[in-house]
Amino acid sequence: MATDIIVPPLSQTMDSVVLVEWLKAEGDKVAKGEPLFVIETDKANLDIEAPAGGVLRQVWAQPGEAIAVRATIGLIADVGGELPEFERPSARSAAASVAEAAVAALHPLAAATGPMGQPLPPERQARIFASPRARRLAEAEGVPLAELTASGPEGMIVERDVIAYIASKPAPMAITPVARRLAQAAGLEPAALQPARPGARITRADVDVVLARREEVSADGVQWVEVAPIRRTIARRMVASQQAAAEVTLTRDVDATELVELRGQILEELSDGDPRPTYTDILVSIVARQLARHPRANATWDGERIGLYADINVAVAVDTERGLVTPVVRNADTKGLLALTAERAALVRQALDGTIGLDDLTGGTFTITNLGPIGIDAFTPIINPPQTAILGVGRIRPAAAVHNGELCIRQRMFLSLTFDHRIIDGAPAARFLMDIVRLIEKPHLVWL
Amino acid sequence: MEAKTILLNRGAEPTGLPESDSLVDMYRRMKLIRRFEERVNDLYLQGRIPSTLHLYIGQEAVAVGVCAGLREDDYVLSTHRPHGHSLAKGVEPRAILAELLGKVTGCCRGKGGSMHVGDITKGVYPAVAIVGGNIPIAAGAGLAAKMRGDGQVEACFFGDGAANEGAWHEGLNIAAIWDLPVVFVCENNLYAASTPFSLTFKVENVADRACAYGIPGVTVDGMDVLAVYRAANEAIERARQGGGPTLLECKTYRFCGHSRSDPRTYRGREEEQEWQKLDAIPRMRQWLVGSGLSDDGQLDEIDDWVERTFDEALEFAEASPEPDVSELFTDVFKE
Amino acid sequence: MAEMSIAEALRQAIREEMARDDRVFCIGEDIGIPGGFGGAFTVTLGLSDEFGRDRVLDTPISEIAIAGVAIGAAIAGMRPIADVQYGDFLFCMMDQIANQAAKMRYMSGGQVSVPMVMRAPVGQTRRGAQHAQSLEAFFTHIPGLKVVAPSTAYDAKGLLKSAVRDENPVLVFEHKLLYGSKGPRSERGALSPVGEVPDEEYLVPIGEGVIRREGKDVTIVGKLLTMYRALQAAEILAEEGIEAEVIDPRTLVPLDKELILASVRKTGRLVIAEEDNLTGGWAAEIAAIVADEGFVWLDAPIKRVSAPDVPAPFSPALDDAYMPNEHKIVAAVKSLL
Repeated sequence: MATDIIVPPLSQTMDSVVLVEWLKAEGDKVAKGEPLFVIETDKANLDIEAPAGGVLRQVWAQPGEAIAVRATIGLIADVGGELPEFERPSARSAAASVAEAAVAALHPLAAATGPMGQPLPPERQARIFASPRARRLAEAEGVPLAELTASGPEGMIVERDVIAYIASKPAPMAITPVARRLAQAAGLEPAALQPARPGARITRADVDVVLARREEVSADGVQWVEVAPIRRTIARRMVASQQAAAEVTLTRDVDATELVELRGQILEELSDGDPRPTYTDILVSIVARQLARHPRANATWDGERIGLYADINVAVAVDTERGLVTPVVRNADTKGLLALTAERAALVRQALDGTIGLDDLTGGTFTITNLGPIGIDAFTPIINPPQTAILGVGRIRPAAAVHNGELCIRQRMFLSLTFDHRIIDGAPAARFLMDIVRLIEKPHLVWL
Repeated sequence: MEAKTILLNRGAEPTGLPESDSLVDMYRRMKLIRRFEERVNDLYLQGRIPSTLHLYIGQEAVAVGVCAGLREDDYVLSTHRPHGHSLAKGVEPRAILAELLGKVTGCCRGKGGSMHVGDITKGVYPAVAIVGGNIPIAAGAGLAAKMRGDGQVEACFFGDGAANEGAWHEGLNIAAIWDLPVVFVCENNLYAASTPFSLTFKVENVADRACAYGIPGVTVDGMDVLAVYRAANEAIERARQGGGPTLLECKTYRFCGHSRSDPRTYRGREEEQEWQKLDAIPRMRQWLVGSGLSDDGQLDEIDDWVERTFDEALEFAEASPEPDVSELFTDVFKE
Repeated sequence: MAEMSIAEALRQAIREEMARDDRVFCIGEDIGIPGGFGGAFTVTLGLSDEFGRDRVLDTPISEIAIAGVAIGAAIAGMRPIADVQYGDFLFCMMDQIANQAAKMRYMSGGQVSVPMVMRAPVGQTRRGAQHAQSLEAFFTHIPGLKVVAPSTAYDAKGLLKSAVRDENPVLVFEHKLLYGSKGPRSERGALSPVGEVPDEEYLVPIGEGVIRREGKDVTIVGKLLTMYRALQAAEILAEEGIEAEVIDPRTLVPLDKELILASVRKTGRLVIAEEDNLTGGWAAEIAAIVADEGFVWLDAPIKRVSAPDVPAPFSPALDDAYMPNEHKIVAAVKSLL
């Protein structure tokens, strides 16, 4: 018996995914439901679970390959009796496989010899004798048993063999799945890659650095770089946004002095272990509360009608090495600042390490994008469809300003609201922005 | 020492008897045992008892006659046929019945079953179902009583079959040499399961063996509760006074089979009928009425009480919960 | 603190418990006869003079009665210490131990308990097959019995005192070659370990094992005499740079299995040494526990060093082939490295 490993369809819009990595090697035992391989979708990296328990016998897709959904990319064979290796279905008569499998199942030892009683080549005698302790360590350290030299009783691999192997190898390279795939696609040797900091994982940025240094430039003078599906998705969505919507951007210079002081006071009151709110967190909280008063800013357009969202789910743009993603803080208007902070921090962390799930990337009703930390003052953000508006946040910087009739140094920031004029007109959009400004300048009004 | 054999003249006027209340009570207890066993048998036939049963029907006079002479703080060690001994010593019928049904309210919390019923608060140790196994244990309980010096007496019941076990010999001998306060009561019902007494004994009476241990041996009519009482009482009092053990043999007969799977094809129906004529319960009733110690009205009332008592016991037992699975792991050790 | 043999330590334990509690008494063959042996291995020597022959009871040669009387006295509130001359005679009283003592509490639904102690010498000592057996496994198999096996004077005293105070039947297995009995009752080839025993009152809790020697390469579990063989083996192995950890479970029921599992977790290898016959022996149970609950920590098969499946022989020429000894333990350890 063997079970096909099929790439599951994960959404209505996706017809291909990228295989990031296999979590098991051929010959490994797998349990039903255990994570078996990782795919990259336009939203996130996802672990796919084994459809059956047994031994991973054959894989037909390699990391980095784009695979059609519903494609069969490998086989899981039953444990017990060493099944002959499966080959690509066409390469071999199915009847012969079934007959051999049946013999193997009846006579576990018979599988070690071929049909005529001839010994099978060693690589087909898949069983490796290793002590449970050695297996445990090898699994934990990712050491393939087949590469070990056995020194234990009766030719068994024991713990010291695994330890010796680990000691003999240079430390395995820490590399993110995306970076590994990019490096493989570009034909880069692992040795050519350097992490940004000693001990850090090699990321896409590190691969890009090496690629940029490469002299190979194609005939048209352009270096063409392979991209992940997410890049294409971003490109598609951005264009769709600008083509479909009637986008207008309003900009306002805001006095953020009170906001800075408020945050300082909040941080002083926190205990060790409490989540520490960023300006983005405070802005998410303020904006979410104002969205409740301005439902048209929290809306969508189906071509004929305005759809007002029941929930206020604020998406926050995050720059990851895979590209821009927008994890969603659901019902942000109902959450306390610390709860919101903790939730957003967790989402950002998952987005950065690629473990975030599709559920956390969908369902946003409004987006905030903050380029302040990178040093930008003001910009024109692009709406994240099918939403109506997006707030761009610039950096907070000291600037000369007139305050209470005197010239003084104040903390200033620009806010840029891009909105879809099909849904909301300029004046109401401006009132929405000004309500936000008012709360930033006088944060105590939040409670009014 | 010569074995002392007392075979009562049936029908002769007994002497040395307790108050009439106690005599009527002997009838009540015998009747309770009889009807308890008969009605338990009915339940068995209805498939409501999850085990086999060794019924005491026919032997009631022995348990009742012996226990009538025991104090409340005296102890009984019983056998695989223990319902009668427990009832005679005062264990609640409902506690026994619940035990037979495997209920947690049973005297052994449903962990013993028919062959191990007992209630130490009534002076009945959990019954020992290995034939002869209770003999040395009775000696040990007697040793404890002797060491404490509180005059407590142990009554150890066993069948004729047990007298051929090695444990019987060792137990009787050690009780004899140490003068332990134990009355060894042999219920000689003529069959060890199906094997007749005559095939397994060279002596005529089990009590004849008493002389081998240097203790008194007494044989009585086990179908006469008064005869059993008088002989047992004498042995009990001797033990209590430090006179050591007695081997008391009661010639009796079980009217039913050895266990519920026994069709009694090894013995003649005429023999059974002859013994049934000696049934202790109607004889006692006749004697109580004839001697003016009681009358039919009082005894009928007792009969009704017996039925009611069983009805109530059955209601209690059936309504009782079964043991929780956690009970499986308790009482292996005392913490 | 006094140095004493195991026989002396046991005697002191009995003496202290009899003085402490009137319910405690001794019962057995040849244990209190004036001018007699004080038991087959002198453990009760002199106690009848101290406490009277009413509390050191000499029985006929009636093993069933010894056990049965102890059980009966225990359920009636006393605290008997029964002396079995040779462990082999436990088979004579098997009904009383296995069917009565072990089960009485359970089948009475907790109405009675059987707080009795039964002391039984075990081990091969060139008396032939009927005075040589190591019977521990028979009794560890029976639910309702506690089983202890002290190998030092300290443990012998502390465990026996705990056993007397326990509310359950406790079998105390003692090894004939460890008693240190003196005079005409001394044993040929005995190890007779003498150990320090505190003067003040102490107990060794039932159910706690002890690490006799620490090591990182292999765990050797031994009890009674084989615990000493394991220590000897560890000495030999140490000369070759192999560090063996020696565990003495001290109590067999309830077993301190966590101690053994923790050690195997450290060393990855397990050898169990015992004098019992191989098949169905106590070592098999230890092996099964570790295979079951410590499998992932094993770096080698589990090895048993037991007596072969033959009765104990008499001829000294057969001793080496029969007895588990330090050399067999060393060989077993090396087969795992």
